[in-house]
Amino acid sequence: MLVAQGVVKSFGACRALDGFDLTVSPGEITGLVGHNGAGKTTFVEVVTGLVRADAGRVSVGGIDVRRDPHAARRLLAVAPQELALYVSATVRDHLRLFAALAGLRRAAQARAVDQVAEELQLTGVLGQRVGLISGGQRRRTQAAAALVADAPMLLLDEPTVGADLQTRTALLAAVRTRAASGAAVLYTTHYLPELADLGATLAVARSGRIIARGTQQELMNGLPGELRLQFGQAPGEHPNLPAALQGRASAVDGEVRISSTNPPGDLAALLAAGCAPVSVDVRRPGLDDLYRSLAQEIPDAA
Amino acid sequence: MLLDSATFYDPVACSAPVGAATWRTPLSRIGAIARHNTMLILREPGPLASRLIMPVVFIALLHPLYLASQGRAGGASQAVIATLITFSLLAMSIPGTSILTERVWRTWTRRMTAIRPAELLAGKAVPVIAALLAQQALVIGFGVVVLGLDVAWPLLLAVALLVWTLALIGMGAAIGVLARSLSELSVIYDLGGILLSSLGGALVPLAAMPGWARHVAPASPGYWAVSALHAALGGDAAGTLRACAVLAGIAVACGALAAARVGRGAARSATL
Repeated sequence: MLVAQGVVKSFGACRALDGFDLTVSPGEITGLVGHNGAGKTTFVEVVTGLVRADAGRVSVGGIDVRRDPHAARRLLAVAPQELALYVSATVRDHLRLFAALAGLRRAAQARAVDQVAEELQLTGVLGQRVGLISGGQRRRTQAAAALVADAPMLLLDEPTVGADLQTRTALLAAVRTRAASGAAVLYTTHYLPELADLGATLAVARSGRIIARGTQQELMNGLPGELRLQFGQAPGEHPNLPAALQGRASAVDGEVRISSTNPPGDLAALLAAGCAPVSVDVRRPGLDDLYRSLAQEIPDAA
Repeated sequence: MLLDSATFYDPVACSAPVGAATWRTPLSRIGAIARHNTMLILREPGPLASRLIMPVVFIALLHPLYLASQGRAGGASQAVIATLITFSLLAMSIPGTSILTERVWRTWTRRMTAIRPAELLAGKAVPVIAALLAQQALVIGFGVVVLGLDVAWPLLLAVALLVWTLALIGMGAAIGVLARSLSELSVIYDLGGILLSSLGGALVPLAAMPGWARHVAPASPGYWAVSALHAALGGDAAGTLRACAVLAGIAVACGALAAARVGRGAARSATL
């Protein structure tokens, strides 16, 4: 559904996209992750035709977005990163507008509005002005405007930023439903757990290009997490760790942190050496660990 | 919520969602934008109300001045034209603000992901045209009913008002797309409105203005609006159409500039 090949976009001296390649198939949710400035939002703007690429090709459903941006837009629904709502309009006004722009007739509009409102738990505030509803409800309204017309390609740019648990849960469920019905979803985020909930594949962006692509399991496999231990000793004092662990340990904020690909094994080694922590926290590998690992593998991309 | 598979999209044809539930034409999209913008204007009616009330207050208080200086017939038409041109130029803020506020709210970019730039501009123009025509109808109505303004050929006057309105929409849209903040927009409209209407001979007849002002007057759209209205009120079809042609050129040039900037993404919120 979405194919991007060698996309280049510069803003003055800044090369925001530098050979960006990405494919998203119908029914697939792709999590586009990367640090700020990696090119995620610029790529979304290129796909929507808001920004014209300097080079490369992007097509949506086979339509070249540069050659025919309007035809390509008809296949897209977008939830931008920043809230873009009319404070004096009601939630229903927003949903009706985007349903109408997508071409839904009056009866279908009303049905679609009611259904997406129910999905995103907005039914109770449909008649309220956006300026008077909560931040979470605004965030859901923004997402609902993108989801109301069942577009075949969804671009959701950090849709859960600042969202509460209720908003996040409702939104993720709605996205899963769309993907299950065949929509291709490009979902940019900084939160890996969300992508795990969505069952998304990962595309890691850095410096304007995709540096890794695959399932979370494939990409995170073998990455070290962290054992975070407290020993109840005075600040600055640490137990004598087994020699095998000392090279991977550091003292931070009164706790000992051990980089580990095998936390149970390392914990067992600690206990066997007579080091008895008063608290243990196991941190799974996250995006930063993935970036660090990729930076070591592909240093020239940084 | 989802349409069933028969009414969902056709990835092979790569077309818009198909089926009985959808209809997509430029007119339907323009209609949707126009309805939405009408609703937005009516939800916050203060600016519109002030643009409608101010010219009536102005002409009600100042028309004795025009009647005293130019006699009954000439004074009535000058009072009406002065009020109409000055306040309609100030009302360029309606289309401009309607565009710039959306850029500030980031809703402009949001809508741009769904429709063509020209459709977006056209949809926004519809309620604004209605507002500007209502303002002008109030002033003309006051002139006819209270001042005894004589309109030789109402249809000709209607054409002149419509073309002037389109020129205002085009200029307002261009400024709304180019401006980078609401305060910048406010300065442009306030200074520009007074400057263009004065230079055009709306507030004071050109004959009473300094020589240099008479030379530069044709550079002001206000001059052509004054010419069109004077000619239309006097039943001079050729004079009206000549001035209207210039105003139509201004409307097309400014509208094209606005559409081109919008189409190239220059009106995105990120450019503010």
